[in-house]
Amino acid sequence: MEAAVVDAGSKFLKAGPAIPDQAPAMIIPTQMKRMLEDGSMADNSLCEDITVDPVERGFIRDWDAMEDLLQHVLYTGLGWEIGNEGQILFTDPLSTPKSFREQLVQLMFETFNISGFYASEQAVLSLYAVGRISGCTVDIGHGKIDIAPVIEGAVQHIASRRFEIGGIDLTKLLAQELGKSNPLINISMSDVEKMKELYSCCAEDELAYEKTKNSCQIEKHTLPDGQVITIGREKYTVGEALFQPSLLSLDAHGIVEQLVRSISTVSSDNHRQLLENTVLCGGTASMPGFEERFQKEASLCSSAIRPALVKPPEYMPENLTMYSAWVGGAILAKVVFPQNQHVTKADYDETGPSIVHRKCF
Amino acid sequence: MYGGDEVSAIVIDLGSHTCKAGYAGEDAPKAVFPSVVGAIDQMEVDDPEKTENNSGSALDAKNTARTLDSDKTKGKRKLYVGSQTLGFRRDHMEVLSPIKDGVVVDWEMVDSIWDHALRECLLIDPQEHPMLLAEPSSNTQQQRERTAELMFEKYKVPALFLAKNAVLTSFASGRATSLVVDCGGGSTTVAPVHDGYVLQKAVASSPIGGEFLSDCLMKSLESKGITIKPRYSFKRKEIRPGEFQTVDLDHPNTTESYKLYSQRVIASDIKECVCRAPDTPYDESAYSNIPMTSYELPDGQTIEIGADRFKIPDVLFNPSLVQTIPGMENYAEIASSARGLPQMVLESINKCDVDIRRELFSSILLAGGTASMQQLKERLEKDLLEESPQAARVKVLASGNATERRFSVWIGGSILASLGSFQQMWFSKSEYEEHGAAYIQRKCP
Repeated sequence: MEAAVVDAGSKFLKAGPAIPDQAPAMIIPTQMKRMLEDGSMADNSLCEDITVDPVERGFIRDWDAMEDLLQHVLYTGLGWEIGNEGQILFTDPLSTPKSFREQLVQLMFETFNISGFYASEQAVLSLYAVGRISGCTVDIGHGKIDIAPVIEGAVQHIASRRFEIGGIDLTKLLAQELGKSNPLINISMSDVEKMKELYSCCAEDELAYEKTKNSCQIEKHTLPDGQVITIGREKYTVGEALFQPSLLSLDAHGIVEQLVRSISTVSSDNHRQLLENTVLCGGTASMPGFEERFQKEASLCSSAIRPALVKPPEYMPENLTMYSAWVGGAILAKVVFPQNQHVTKADYDETGPSIVHRKCF
Repeated sequence: MYGGDEVSAIVIDLGSHTCKAGYAGEDAPKAVFPSVVGAIDQMEVDDPEKTENNSGSALDAKNTARTLDSDKTKGKRKLYVGSQTLGFRRDHMEVLSPIKDGVVVDWEMVDSIWDHALRECLLIDPQEHPMLLAEPSSNTQQQRERTAELMFEKYKVPALFLAKNAVLTSFASGRATSLVVDCGGGSTTVAPVHDGYVLQKAVASSPIGGEFLSDCLMKSLESKGITIKPRYSFKRKEIRPGEFQTVDLDHPNTTESYKLYSQRVIASDIKECVCRAPDTPYDESAYSNIPMTSYELPDGQTIEIGADRFKIPDVLFNPSLVQTIPGMENYAEIASSARGLPQMVLESINKCDVDIRRELFSSILLAGGTASMQQLKERLEKDLLEESPQAARVKVLASGNATERRFSVWIGGSILASLGSFQQMWFSKSEYEEHGAAYIQRKCP
């Protein structure tokens, strides 16, 4: 049986058997809705009940909800049978505290009774997906942005940076802006989220963004309840916020500048190798115009060596940026499990949860 | 007694230049960031425009809480810690260091640095992890008590231990007796360690450290007409497709200390890339014709560095060279009273008992960021061989890996805190509550 690979993001949970050149079998929203009668959980629907987010800012916060979600994913989605559980590979975001990993491995072995476990960092996996072992990953997700230089499969923690901003903050910004331009219309967050995915894009550069202040194409969008909303400059604001965080009222540099600064703390022999192998991944990075803007900003940044984006191999599926960590996990699963480098049930029973730090890097 | 089980300890080494923090048992710290703090004095804020600038920073939500706490004698002050937040230029932000001459002068800043390391970088709850802190080899009783108080009262750690830097470096190399030469950012300290204890009377220190060398380099370049432009002061504009031009940006409200800090960052990078310790003492005439190496600054300017590559590191061995660098005249008194590295080593060894001198000579350990300079080990060995007594066998040891040399104090702490036999030596919270902070002198020798 194939090992299962699970990438639990703040918005989408990607799971599937470890088949590297395909998209993950299941891409489901992580957000769950709490049902009051029998206390069981189900997947997201449109009504605004008590929504539960087990994964916040990349980290698993609500372990009970996560357990229920994983039960659905593994038994219903991937077709595992109770009593015959297989091996599973999880992905971790950057700076995961030790205790989170230990809790996860405990959950997997004690509640789910799996036979083998492995955990790896998302930054390294995204690089594996594009066929590299060294480079720099810029992961722009729903809950967080991770910038991680990786040298020969090892994340340089000293130079990596994590930001607590992501797609969710862009949605809030869009809601704010739409509220200003369409004051009479009530929109829910999930509608704003959909609009963000449909309309948002990046301006070509700062000057082009400034020009949109004066003249911009206004589009009309009909909400499910029939109201019509106009969206004009706001669609560029969302993309611009990543390059000018002052739009989000944050004192920080744009994403390319942050990348260059974090690389400058690594020893300079590796600079070229890291910057010329930059990988963009994450849902928000698949915004139209984002890559071109990134490359434009890269040529303007204050550094001797310019960041250059890596092209994913042709045999990889389209939309690799959405789930490159999952694909990398599938590649790694094919190496780790057959070679018995993972944490087995026997190891766990002997040593306890701390075994995960010794066996999984 | 603290019965630590599987919860791993946290090791924090707050140096004069960088703060290193991470889990015990690992081979490198997870969080490394400058141990300086950006401070904006809230009292200065008069007009509403400036207030908006300061109220941004959603990333530093902790600081707003701290601003309320710090409303004592200093007035309100917003602190910014960490390389991410310091990297962003803010109006009126002063860059301050909590440590002067090895002694902590501002505990609020130290508190904010620890908070950043624990809660924002490592993402842990200090209540669940025992802490191992590295302290300078000549730390006063008062400082130790203050550290213990802050750790137990504010962070509520379950257990604490303070270990001397030199001892930790010694453990990192697997020796109980050695002479530790710690070339750090703010100062250079030579301390002999015997059986795990620092011999206090023989500790020698000098204010010449990595930062001093970066300053020398900066002044030397300035005298040649090269100004280092800080990263925030320029922007590249595309005037035609494919052609770029650097445009200077003017930020009138930037403080001098921030400008100096940004320039120092670039100067230390230049120093790390091009400087090498010369094989023989520096001589103007001998080095006047050496080939130049080029280095590209962030703004695109390429500079050529020739004799300075060897002159700057030689300041460690011969501090009087400082007087020949134009612009460093005000440091002349510091330089004249400081001794060179080989002299400090010999002085330190000579203050020890005759019996252990032989052992100290044969295990001289190099540690610290500045010690990862190329050829430093060879030059030190050579100088010591010349000046040491005939019978002594001089051996300078340094780990090959530059990161190991830079973090050797932290690594020693990581090793110590994960030893089984160490677990009974922690100074636990119950002991603190029973005996008070002064008990630390007994528990952490």
